[in-house]
Amino acid sequence: MANAHPSLAVAQEIGQVGRNFLREVGGVFWFIVNTFEETLERIRRGRVPFRAASFFRHTERAGVDSVPLVGLVSFFLGLTMALLTGYQLQRFGTERLIPGLVAIAFTRELGPLITGIMLAARIGAAFTAELGTMQVSEEVEAIESMGIGPLRFLVAPRMLALFLLMPCLSTVSNIAAIFASSLICKAYFSIAFPYFLDLVKDSLLIRDIIPGILKSFLFGLLISAIACYRGLTVKGGAAGVGTSTTSSVVTAVTTVIGFDTLYNIVYTVFFPT
Amino acid sequence: MVELRNVDMQFEEKKVLDGFSLKVEPQERLVIMGQSGSGKSTVLRLILGILRPAAGSIFFKRFEITRLQRRKLQRIRQHMGMVYQYSALLSSRNVRDNVALPLEELTDKSRSEIDKIVDEKLDLVGMKDTKDLLPEELSGGMRKRIALARALVLEPELILLDEPSAGLDPVIASVIDELIISLSEKSKVTSITVTHEMDTAFRIGTRMAMLYQGKIIEEAEPEKFKQSKNPVVAQFLSGSTEGPILEGSLDAITKK
Repeated sequence: MANAHPSLAVAQEIGQVGRNFLREVGGVFWFIVNTFEETLERIRRGRVPFRAASFFRHTERAGVDSVPLVGLVSFFLGLTMALLTGYQLQRFGTERLIPGLVAIAFTRELGPLITGIMLAARIGAAFTAELGTMQVSEEVEAIESMGIGPLRFLVAPRMLALFLLMPCLSTVSNIAAIFASSLICKAYFSIAFPYFLDLVKDSLLIRDIIPGILKSFLFGLLISAIACYRGLTVKGGAAGVGTSTTSSVVTAVTTVIGFDTLYNIVYTVFFPT
Repeated sequence: MVELRNVDMQFEEKKVLDGFSLKVEPQERLVIMGQSGSGKSTVLRLILGILRPAAGSIFFKRFEITRLQRRKLQRIRQHMGMVYQYSALLSSRNVRDNVALPLEELTDKSRSEIDKIVDEKLDLVGMKDTKDLLPEELSGGMRKRIALARALVLEPELILLDEPSAGLDPVIASVIDELIISLSEKSKVTSITVTHEMDTAFRIGTRMAMLYQGKIIEEAEPEKFKQSKNPVVAQFLSGSTEGPILEGSLDAITKK
């Protein structure tokens, strides 16, 4: 093998990377399927799959506690976007397009995307670290040894919390950004609040809002699945938890951006605007 | 109660169990001894169905663990209780919630019924006053006792104990050992303990087994086990540096 042709070595390396990638994709896919299966099986037996308190604890952590961060970042982005696009549009005398531009950009694309990236970093990392620590301290195995399904007990409440909370946080992001742009419009371009709202209402359509909401659900599912999967597959003690947490954030952020692109392509093909 | 037949188990290149066979009768307290890393804890994980062997069969009563699907396996596990070497208590829950967890998740009992059982089990292990404490507020011995209470809460037929007295001072280790004996006598529970602590092994065990190089090389009642002619067992019991155990290890190192 030492004398292998360099192109062969490169091909082998690419093959190895491709194989690892497909293994990971398959792993996350079956992880989601098994979580659903375990949860539904429990429901079929007439029992609640997890405690409401556990679910609400995660919704509070993932949702309520993320509102300041999501709101603040989106507010600043809304300010910047309105300011920079405003100066360009002003040169053509079309600054009244700013409200619609910011509203459509955020509801359709930036709101869910930025929220997804922030939650992948904030909550994804927390889920991976928490479950990873439980994994290395044998807590997950102890749960399993009692006959309790760890997927429905540990993963399902986290997954459902993020799945349901992502659209809410995207909405917070949209509102913060639109509000910020309204301040810029008032301060720099003399667009009063009532007129600003009329312009937003005129330009924003339901078909701009729906894709953003659907996308948010998908991002919530992906971020939580990747974070929990990485947490429950931690190996190598404390160092392993650290490595998995970093890997979880990187994977989740990349996946969110990748799926966003894919989603936009598919959506544009089926619903051309 | 439990039977392992010709079980092979390996982790990547390392073969841990090689044609391992063992039978455990109801109500006995079997102690499996062996060197660190010899595969003792692996045996317990195989019985629980957490690990799957490369070959061989494992039976718990009439169920073949190795062939059961996840759903059925989860139900079978409710008849077993496991005490981990480092207790494995859920760090985010207090003692009461740790012990109550199997009852809350797997039974239809009301909160007051659960509280009554939790009190009873905590009383049994002498830890009734720690109900509101978090695991991090407990000492190693206290955690072991809580883990034992949690393992007993579903009234299992089989208890698996992984190094129950490792890392504890001799007095607390004796307390834990006495507790295991009294529980097994009172509740007629079968137990399998893995340990390399001699005192614990001979105090708890009604039968001893020695695991060496992936197989059980000696099985006997404590007194007969002590007088074993097997050089590995003799060296292990005496703690001598002269004998086949270190020679085997040195051979393996030299071969590498």
